[in-house]
Amino acid sequence: MNTTHSRHRTAAAALAGALALLLAATGCSSKADGKGSSDSADGVRTGPGVTAKTIKLGALTDLTGPYATLGKSIVQAQQMWADETNAKGGICGRKVEIVVKDHGYDVQKAVTAYADIAPDVVALPQVIGSPVVAALLDDIDRDHMLTFPQAWAASLLGKDSVQVIGTTYDIDMISAVDFLTRTKGLKKGDTIGHVYFEGDYGANALEGSTWAAKKAGLKIEGQKIKATDTDLSAQVSALRKAGVKAILISAGPAQTASLVGVAASRGLRVPVVSNAPGFAPQLMKTPAAPALAAMLNIISSAPAVSSDLPGVRAMVASYKKKYPGSPVDSGVLSGYNAAELLGADLKKACASGGLTREDLVKAHRSQKNADTGLGTPQDFSDAGSPASREAYVLRPDAKADGGVVNAEDAHKAPGVDEYLSTRG
Amino acid sequence: MTSLLDDLLNGLALGAVYALVALGFVVIFKASGVINFAQGSLLLFGGYLTAVLHDDLGFAGALAVAVLATALLAGALDRLLLQRGEPDPRMAHVQTIVTIGVDIVLLTDLSRRIGGDLLSLGDPWGDSVVTLGSVTVADSRLAAIAVSAVAIAAVFALFRFTPWGLSLRAAAEDTEAAALMGVRLSRVRMLAWCLAGALAALAAVFLAAFPAPGLERTTGQIALKAFPAAILGGMASPPGALAGSLLIGLTEALVAGHQSDLHVLGEGFGDVAPYAVMVLVLLVRPTGLFGAKGAARV
Repeated sequence: MNTTHSRHRTAAAALAGALALLLAATGCSSKADGKGSSDSADGVRTGPGVTAKTIKLGALTDLTGPYATLGKSIVQAQQMWADETNAKGGICGRKVEIVVKDHGYDVQKAVTAYADIAPDVVALPQVIGSPVVAALLDDIDRDHMLTFPQAWAASLLGKDSVQVIGTTYDIDMISAVDFLTRTKGLKKGDTIGHVYFEGDYGANALEGSTWAAKKAGLKIEGQKIKATDTDLSAQVSALRKAGVKAILISAGPAQTASLVGVAASRGLRVPVVSNAPGFAPQLMKTPAAPALAAMLNIISSAPAVSSDLPGVRAMVASYKKKYPGSPVDSGVLSGYNAAELLGADLKKACASGGLTREDLVKAHRSQKNADTGLGTPQDFSDAGSPASREAYVLRPDAKADGGVVNAEDAHKAPGVDEYLSTRG
Repeated sequence: MTSLLDDLLNGLALGAVYALVALGFVVIFKASGVINFAQGSLLLFGGYLTAVLHDDLGFAGALAVAVLATALLAGALDRLLLQRGEPDPRMAHVQTIVTIGVDIVLLTDLSRRIGGDLLSLGDPWGDSVVTLGSVTVADSRLAAIAVSAVAIAAVFALFRFTPWGLSLRAAAEDTEAAALMGVRLSRVRMLAWCLAGALAALAAVFLAAFPAPGLERTTGQIALKAFPAAILGGMASPPGALAGSLLIGLTEALVAGHQSDLHVLGEGFGDVAPYAVMVLVLLVRPTGLFGAKGAARV
């Protein structure tokens, strides 16, 4: 009897102890969640991530997983920006610091990493991975954490603190259809194939292509695939049977290479247009390289790294100097551009007297024409609309930095405004 | 008609590649009762070795080294990790779980090394194709069909005509009796694992060759499509693995080729189709196409 009693008592004590610990833990975290702001010595309101001496930014990146190459490029480019900014005296009299967390493209790790760094940073100039962003969307919104994801699905629009930079996938596909009808001789009644990934990326791209095709009197023949599909022979057969005059692809680099390689080998030599994530410089080292050079174009809201925009040239030159041996790819440009844009937001927030997260989001949303000289100007005033409606057309070139060169300068495809207004 | 022939040929070629992987599953299962979930990462290991070595050793040399190394790795896995303590067929379930762990470890390290790269294996076929009448098929796929046929015949012959095959079949029939008859179970088993490893490295070549763009970190996952193939074939029969693989390959190619006609079933049905076929076959023949009838008398 006695022993059972004492065992009960021990259990109760343990439970009470655990509860107390839990309370203490939540008590701590409520202190750290960043609601409270204070004025620092220079009269600037500060909140989490900002002290009198430093501004801390966070990066949730992939340095060990599938996008390790991209992640490394972005991390290095943003670090270069931070070093340059600090050499010029920092922002708002404070040094900029970037806290980098690797999640290896694992959503659970990313969520933990976010919880880990969120109390200590004011914004996230880099988050890699659509599933990661989707999982963090509510947290980011609640924390008013200004975030620039490396993902371009329209489903990410509409949150005040999340900013997709440039165009969304649907807009790019509208530009792609426009490019095909304008330069590749597609006309009313023709069929276009669209090979797309399941999930947000593919669905959003298909939405754009379907709308544009209907507008132009074309028919879309859709082929849904998965990331593990790397032999697209069957898809090419189906597209050939459907008599397509051109193919759109919204998938990964491996799928683009297989699609173009197989199509070329079977005599289906039609123009192929890809979304930006469907190309990687490594493709130009595969057996499909000649076919890619002949048939592929890429629609991107960022110019080619090899473009002759003065801003891009200068950035590429200093990147090569700072990281000799590192490949200069699109991640370098998009990472640096994101950091520049965030820098502009921070300066603006500082000028209006506050560096809390709320101040930063407000400053960001007041930017109607943010131009870093690294691509198209961005309008961040409406969280529900893409920041830009203009896209570049690129084409592969094995010899160029990043494996692509500009084929057409940035422009807005006809119909984009109408599409966005009908979509609401 | 042309497109149907096209799909059939695509499907056969795809099935031939799956057959190499399915054969690995079968050999291991027959010898040890373990379903090797690490087969995909062994495949990736072999492919990765071929990819990094082919510049120095040439394709044939690199492939030979990769096949040997993967065979050794698979054998070592079995000997050092799975065969701890007394051989006991009841431990097969536990060992199957262990292979999941091995798969995670191998895959994590290889993905880290491969990253976002697409590695070329330096195979001799490139992107050349053969046109037969109105249909075209890649040279690499014809090679896959030939190599699979030879590999399956060889494994079949090994099972049937060698002392090792006899021991293996005896052990599969009744482990205890075989052990009493002097069959060295652990060595028989280890050799089977080596063979499966070698087959995985060979399969990697064809999974990465044109029409696929090269070896990437997800190539190992494709190997899992050979799973339903092996189960379909009865899990313990090499000809069954071939038949199951061809059936799965054909299903996949036909469904993907007629995706637009199958909208009723929802998009992306191609991914489900192999499993649907597997379930259908198992409903009719619960032990698979070539599975041994489990005689359980009460």
